[in-house]
Amino acid sequence: MNPDEIGPGEEDLAFVQRVLAGDRRCFEPLVRRHERRVFRVALAVLGNIEDAEDAMQEVFIKAFRHLDQFRGESRFTTWLTRIAVNEALQKRQARKESVPLDESREADERPLPRRFEPWTANPEQLYGQQEVRQLVEAAIQALPSIYRETLVLRDVEGMSAEEAAEALGIKVEALKSRLLRARLMLRETLGSAMEEPRPLGTKIVHSAVRMRNMMKVMLARAAGR
Amino acid sequence: MNTTTTRMMSCKEVLANLSTYVDEDGSAELRHLLEEHIAWCRRCQVVFDTTGRMVKIVRDAEPFEIPLAVSARLYARLETVLSGD
Repeated sequence: MNPDEIGPGEEDLAFVQRVLAGDRRCFEPLVRRHERRVFRVALAVLGNIEDAEDAMQEVFIKAFRHLDQFRGESRFTTWLTRIAVNEALQKRQARKESVPLDESREADERPLPRRFEPWTANPEQLYGQQEVRQLVEAAIQALPSIYRETLVLRDVEGMSAEEAAEALGIKVEALKSRLLRARLMLRETLGSAMEEPRPLGTKIVHSAVRMRNMMKVMLARAAGR
Repeated sequence: MNTTTTRMMSCKEVLANLSTYVDEDGSAELRHLLEEHIAWCRRCQVVFDTTGRMVKIVRDAEPFEIPLAVSARLYARLETVLSGD
């Protein structure tokens, strides 16, 4: 366990114990501390705000009613996130979605990187914090669901590979392979906004090279005629 | 010729270990092999660098703020549960 997390974890535990001792009002601070995470996780699995909201309400009601099942062996965050993922996955199944295309072809395709330009040194200066957030949100939302949920659990929520795999009910190896693909896909999408604008000089050199190559081909053709 | 030299990794192998590099785990030996590769391979260097920066950008952006109305409805619903059960 990360030592930085011992503090908040202990605070959670104190609230849990007070709720279990009969002080129901102490459930509210627990909700305040974790609502963003539960919402994000539900949104990652379900892909739209309406379903995520429904799932989030169910998650907190279930957590409240089954709080005595929290044994304190894992962190409260982990326990709650597991409930959130389960609830959202069940909801997704209930929507009777067939196996998503991306899931069925998961194994055979690994997109190779296609963008090889460096990113601008400080995107926040280029876009402003709010705009960067919007770019990130749009790019994550565009990911197929199995990659979206993996990336959110690992890179947004900061869960370990083991915790995230357990919450999603998949093997750690599968999680790692999904994460790699999720990151590569996200990098392609964000790359168009984050790459350094190419200086005019480079463009001119590239055009000159293209022109020279074209001339060579034309000359060769003319000579062969 | 030095026979103990470890072989160089291909771009494909290096890419498969991208997360190891970004998340700073894996053995020291593996990290060394990866660093050796990206020291001379510009394309992999860009992919590794931009992916590492992307992971940081994603985390720092704290995406998907819960809408105020959504939060308000959650507390309203919980109120009935907390006071009713």
